[in-house]
Amino acid sequence: MPLYKTKAIVLKSQRWGEADRIVTLYSENVGKVRGIARGARRMKSRFGSALEPFRLIDVTLFEKNAESLASVSQADITESFGILRENLALMTAAARMVNVIQALTPDRDPNPDIFQALIDGLSSLESESDSELCALLFQIHILGHTGFRPQIDHCAECGTYTGMVKVTFSPQSGGIICGSCRDRTFDRGFSISPGSLAFIQQARRLPFHKVTRLRAAGQVRQEVEQTIDAYVRVVAGKALPAVNFTITEKLSS
Amino acid sequence: MDKTVSTMTEKSPGASGQHGGFLARLAKEFVRLPGIGQKTAQRLAFHMMKAEKEEALRLADAIRDVKERVTFCTECRNIAEESLCEICLSPKRDRTKILVVEEPSTLYAIEQSKAFHGLYHVLFGALSPLDGVGPSDIRAHELEDRVKSGEVKEVVIATNPTIEGEATAIYLTKLLKPHGVSVSRIAYGIPVGMDIEYADEVTLLKSIEGRRELT
Repeated sequence: MPLYKTKAIVLKSQRWGEADRIVTLYSENVGKVRGIARGARRMKSRFGSALEPFRLIDVTLFEKNAESLASVSQADITESFGILRENLALMTAAARMVNVIQALTPDRDPNPDIFQALIDGLSSLESESDSELCALLFQIHILGHTGFRPQIDHCAECGTYTGMVKVTFSPQSGGIICGSCRDRTFDRGFSISPGSLAFIQQARRLPFHKVTRLRAAGQVRQEVEQTIDAYVRVVAGKALPAVNFTITEKLSS
Repeated sequence: MDKTVSTMTEKSPGASGQHGGFLARLAKEFVRLPGIGQKTAQRLAFHMMKAEKEEALRLADAIRDVKERVTFCTECRNIAEESLCEICLSPKRDRTKILVVEEPSTLYAIEQSKAFHGLYHVLFGALSPLDGVGPSDIRAHELEDRVKSGEVKEVVIATNPTIEGEATAIYLTKLLKPHGVSVSRIAYGIPVGMDIEYADEVTLLKSIEGRRELT
């Protein structure tokens, strides 16, 4: 596949060399792919602002083989999601979305559901008032698509049915664990309420365009945020960087 | 990517001596520089060998002076040779205006244009929601301290029109507006000399939004 054209969302755009950029894209046909855009930082670059993060673009990529870094030949904006660049809260939520895709998806493994969910996720930020909740719901949804769906109705260690009762959520085990497994593994985890489990279950089941109808506040919101953040950190093997920015922004406002 | 000089060996003319030859060592140092490949490094090394001794040593002295004597201005963090840079020391500059840039290289580009006559502030970076770079990682609060001093009336934000530059501009506006200063952003639009038909839709949108009346 030396030259191909695909739709893609720009996940990341890094400076490279004198005037180039290395972009990470999540594409419809190839999945996550990295490419070099030569001269992209020059004033009269043919790419314009098409390779800025969060853009939905039509891109032409050239690559000698699957191991090499692709070369970006052309990029045209299909949807700019411009409003996401005009507000720090929206920008942070969008960053959480693209960072979770970056961290959890393998290279060159196309998944049309993830691609569509990402478009829906960024679009939802333009219309929904609670951007942090949108990003949280998106994370829960993507965990399901990437094979890391948290186990919330059976014990993740022994498979015992626990039901929707107050239990312990263990990020290391990949879901809730029963009392005997908790005692056996000395895993303290997080205590999670039936309301929070029901919320995660709903967010997991519904398609993304419907999932944004879910609302959470107070203890449920806090518990779900804490649980999903800790679980994503374990699955990704690192804390996602956008979280730090959210905290600093909150402190400043 | 590691760049190595492989073709210049001890057998190369003038390359005899320790550590693969003095000339090879010089080429090895040149190849570390940005934009310098193996061939260019060899050409530069041979050029230095053939050049007059004074010319070559002038280059060596210039590099030594930059490393030993150049520092950063304590006020704006521009490159300086004393504790304050030439711009901060100049009595001709308008002290009521501060232009904010990400890197000193941007400051020099703006200085060359002669379009701004106030003072500068170099952030040494930009906020990044994607990489988790927050306000404490750049020199945002030092700028706030300068604004608090009372002399400043306007802050012009000239961060790059990238996601990082935009995040920085929004954050700085929130940070500085409460201190009663005017905060402005440099204009977006079509580069001079470019055909409009080749501009992307976002640049066109921004340039139409930011249009101004002709007089």
